[in-house]
Amino acid sequence: MRQDDDLTLLKERAEAVQTITAEVADFRAACLYAVDVTVRQGGSSIAAPGLSGKNLSQLKAACKAGGLKILTKNLRGNIGQISTGFTVADWGIAETATLVMDSTSEDFRIATMLCETHVAILPKSKIVPDAMSLENELSSALKAAPRYLAFISGASRTADIERVLTIGVHGPQELHLMIVKGTGDDKNGS
Amino acid sequence: MIKTAHDVTTYRKDLKKALRNKFLGTTLDNFATGYRTSRAAAFSGIDFDALAREIAAGKDQSIARLRELLEQFTKQAEKAGVKVHFAGTAFEANSIIASIAKAGGVKHIVKGKSMTAEETFLNDHLEKEGFEVTETDLGEWIIQLRKEGPSHMVMPAIHLSRKEVADLFTKVTGKPHDPDDINGMVKVARKELRRKFLDAEMGISGANFAIAESGSIGLITNEGNGRLVTTLPRVHVALVGVDKLLPDMKSALRILMALPRNATGQLISTYVTWISGQTECKSSPDSKKEMHIVFLDNGRLALAGDPVFSQALRCIRCGACANVCPIYKLVGGHSYGHVYIGAIGLVLTYFYHGRRNARAIVRNCLNCQACKSVCPAGIDLPHLIKEVHRTVLKVEGKKPFKNLLLKKALENRRLFHFLLRRAYLAQKPLAEGQYLRHLPFLFSEEHNFRRLPVVAKVPLRDMWESINQRVENPRYRVALFGGCLTDFVYPEQAQALLRLCRDHGVQFEYPMEQTCCGLPAQMMGERETAKDVAVQNLKAVDPADYDYILTLCASCGSHLKENYLKLLSDEPALAVKASQLKDKLIDFSSFMIKVLKVDPEEFLKAGGKVAYHSPCHLCRGQGVTREPRELLSTAGLEYVPAKDEDVCCGFGGSFSIDFPEISAELLKRKLDNVEASGAETLVTDCPGCVLQLRGGMEKRGGRIKVKHIAEVVAEQKHSPQSRRDRGGKQSAEKCL
Repeated sequence: MRQDDDLTLLKERAEAVQTITAEVADFRAACLYAVDVTVRQGGSSIAAPGLSGKNLSQLKAACKAGGLKILTKNLRGNIGQISTGFTVADWGIAETATLVMDSTSEDFRIATMLCETHVAILPKSKIVPDAMSLENELSSALKAAPRYLAFISGASRTADIERVLTIGVHGPQELHLMIVKGTGDDKNGS
Repeated sequence: MIKTAHDVTTYRKDLKKALRNKFLGTTLDNFATGYRTSRAAAFSGIDFDALAREIAAGKDQSIARLRELLEQFTKQAEKAGVKVHFAGTAFEANSIIASIAKAGGVKHIVKGKSMTAEETFLNDHLEKEGFEVTETDLGEWIIQLRKEGPSHMVMPAIHLSRKEVADLFTKVTGKPHDPDDINGMVKVARKELRRKFLDAEMGISGANFAIAESGSIGLITNEGNGRLVTTLPRVHVALVGVDKLLPDMKSALRILMALPRNATGQLISTYVTWISGQTECKSSPDSKKEMHIVFLDNGRLALAGDPVFSQALRCIRCGACANVCPIYKLVGGHSYGHVYIGAIGLVLTYFYHGRRNARAIVRNCLNCQACKSVCPAGIDLPHLIKEVHRTVLKVEGKKPFKNLLLKKALENRRLFHFLLRRAYLAQKPLAEGQYLRHLPFLFSEEHNFRRLPVVAKVPLRDMWESINQRVENPRYRVALFGGCLTDFVYPEQAQALLRLCRDHGVQFEYPMEQTCCGLPAQMMGERETAKDVAVQNLKAVDPADYDYILTLCASCGSHLKENYLKLLSDEPALAVKASQLKDKLIDFSSFMIKVLKVDPEEFLKAGGKVAYHSPCHLCRGQGVTREPRELLSTAGLEYVPAKDEDVCCGFGGSFSIDFPEISAELLKRKLDNVEASGAETLVTDCPGCVLQLRGGMEKRGGRIKVKHIAEVVAEQKHSPQSRRDRGGKQSAEKCL
């Protein structure tokens, strides 16, 4: 099946850019994973500005159980205190292990740029083989300004000192990708 | 800050200084080796040439309608609340940005990496106006602190060692830093720059794409600083060259497919950011980002209208032309460009930063074609570099003596060949066996890094009738294009060719009116002379008379094939002849493998170990790579690979006279690699490369023989007698 091939390629390419991938059964499992990673790293909070409805309740419950603070808005005031950013991707591009995220909301951007660890959720049904497959979607999105679209492929990196690859220069130091089986229609928990 | 030599004498001093920097030489060599592998892996499964052709065609269409795209972009962006500015010059762009900052009550500015801002020297301007400007890309921040320009378009601080960075950070933070703790140093930048992002009221970025259909920009980054620059401060200014305008998303995605792969060997950079309109920004009074896009002309629109140079605007700033340049690899970007680095830098400097800054650096090109072969936009970089060189010479009216000499000599073939014959007599007191004992005039001690061969006593043209046997009912009629070196220095290479073809029914001819191919004139920027000899040669060698035109010289072959068409483009009937010549022109190895289809039975077995030097003008100039290696195996020789086989030997014709220090270093590395391969003989298929390599090997007293491939293959051929005897015992008799 095409979709399984895309998934296999995406996972292989993700590994090559140090993205840690896991397939999870449902959204709740992704929430538990995010809380677990945050607690293990000694973090104290999860910023999840893009969630609402059932998804948000599930994350809240998981954070509560793990003793973590959940941040959902006005994140500019919390810069420096965000341990994990937790966001849902709009698409995944298999060829380059790229997550496409509509980051027009400022809170969404701060959560994904200024966290220490970024946990991203990608519904399996949203995986496409390459960027060209999204040409129309991207083009329409940009025509509906204002719009801030992000392609994210791995954690922040540099090789500016003697070409030594170093992870985590300005953005997140780790990127975890949770691939959720199912349709992905429940992005907003509706 | 950036000082580029305005004359060759000063420039050569800079080059020698760079050559003494051992760290630079090693780090860039390691980079070039690593890049070759990672680039190949990144493009695996992709037809690079087809992609480059698509990008070139797409960019050409955009370049032809930049004003229209600019208008469309402006309309779309302004509809979404963005203020679009147009700056005719670098100064105007800087002034516009300074006024935006003043009007917005800005004091602190953070910047993302932008070559366009480097082009306009934006930081200097803003700092003079009293603003605090901080570069946030790690490499850019390092060079900003050191008050230097970038030495590479993608990796601006590649010229610095970890120790230099550690010393710098120790100075900046007041705390000691361990040079081997690179991760620790990166974290210093993370911490120091995080504060700057939070304090800044304005962010300045460049853009890799400006998409007209939606009025949006695209940015490609790895560190994530570009995202912070465009998110945290309340004002965002993007400084964008008009050449970045594209009609649609498809064009941008196509470039994105090539850019990171070609720049750093990554499939994609970590972050690609697409921004359309005034996005949310809660530190702004109305929660909307104040967004400005400043389009920079600075000569681009004029360039767009030029039939030859407009293709320079196709550049997508991947930096690959530096990555593969053998000269860049030796001296680094501070000695190989002004602001823009590498092959494209030699071209753009002339147009964006003026003739004085371009004058010396533009001569420093071997025409090895390595840049052209990796350009993802198919820019004919060596050709554009030569055209700039020629224009500079023409405008300044100060031609070097050797140019005048060559022009005079080449205008008249009889005079030229008379001089070459006289050279045999003139060199007599200087000769010592096959080599000159002393260097003749025009040369200095610096040229003494290789031994120069003597001119042959009897040139090929004078012995031709006695060595070229007539063939009854020939299968092929082939004209031999000798070129100066085969004709006057190495006639034995042509003798080897004739011996090899003796029993294959090939009737060779040597059209006596042929002269120098004209490449030396082209290399010195003497286009008119090059054109003049092209006409002489087309008159002498009419393609209609032959099945093939064969040359043993890769450089002549590549020049005849590619440049004759360009030189004669305004002479329709001759251009057709040039095109026919191109179709019939063939190199030695391809002729043996593809036309004569030589068989291993014709050759002795168990020949020695041979290394192969792949001449620039054969492997890239004519795309021939398989046939010479196959021919070596067919001829019973053991081909042993050596490192960097297809990297230039440093000859480059008159280049080795202009920049002997570069030529000598390239030659040294080449011979080191060959010696490390364990070969007994070094083989190549260009008499120019033979001159350089053999002269270098002789000078260093090396044991490895250097030969033209025709010579080694002929040495392996059974003699006619032994061929008749074959079937029983195999004769070891060679046909020499």
